[in-house]
Amino acid sequence: MAMTQHKIVFSGPPGAGKTTAIAMLSDIPPVVTDVRNTDAGLGKELTTVGLDFGQADLGNGQCVRLFGTPGQLRFDFMWRIIATDALGLVILIDNTRPDPLDDFATYLDAYADLLPTINCAVGIGRTGECPLPTVDQFSSLLAERGLAFPVLPVDVRRREDVLMLVDTVLIQAEMRT
Amino acid sequence: MTSLSTLTTTLLQPARQTAQALFAEVDGARAVVIATADGFDLAHAGHQSIDPARLAAMVSSVSALGDAASRETGIGTPRYLVIESSDGRLVVRCMQVQEQALVAVVLTDKSVTLGFVLSHLSKAEQLMNAA
Repeated sequence: MAMTQHKIVFSGPPGAGKTTAIAMLSDIPPVVTDVRNTDAGLGKELTTVGLDFGQADLGNGQCVRLFGTPGQLRFDFMWRIIATDALGLVILIDNTRPDPLDDFATYLDAYADLLPTINCAVGIGRTGECPLPTVDQFSSLLAERGLAFPVLPVDVRRREDVLMLVDTVLIQAEMRT
Repeated sequence: MTSLSTLTTTLLQPARQTAQALFAEVDGARAVVIATADGFDLAHAGHQSIDPARLAAMVSSVSALGDAASRETGIGTPRYLVIESSDGRLVVRCMQVQEQALVAVVLTDKSVTLGFVLSHLSKAEQLMNAA
């Protein structure tokens, strides 16, 4: 059976779990471009500055190539490079950051011209620690922009949660055909 | 506002001196930027038309991709990356200075010999480590 390959991009602010999500799903050791973080305000040892790459065989002849973007705004040039020709986009948000809705708006702005046509899912992480803003508030922000994508609470350390995000993207793609 | 780590701030002065020296010594250089591996501009010299913060972030990404490609293909750790374009070059040196990974980039026009830039970048790393 011929293998169908899809490209799915994980994007979102620093610490949202893009590298972890790809590592959870990838069948191969992920390609990572993490370097030592020198931003004292970011609170983590390593940060992605190039891209992440992984690959997962979903069965039924479907393979997804998973790409992760760097999170910081200074790397926004990479966001568009990586998203080129993607079947889908997963936006991950860390609900413990100071202003998750503002983070979300930043990514909606960055991908504004892609969003009307791309298959997209939104994963909100660490909702157990920080239940606010709610999933409905993220959905409302989408609605204000005339967009409607699935917004799901996720723990990217759980493979099934990451798979659910990817599945959500693939289902949208299937429905468009 | 971003705050650099203490280790990084100790490199600011040597980085400034090195950037200015590189820009002065390499004829045909349009800009020099010395940045942390995670894309913060520590020091720069050159023409105003270049945004050093943006160049620092781009060179950080390029350097990390070079490192990943080197690692995946088993050829060790990258020392230089060169982007040879129709009207000039970006020459990147991956440095270790006081146990801190840095990248130095020289943007040149077409007139400059590549080996000349490479030797100056190598010397720059030695100077920064001696500072």
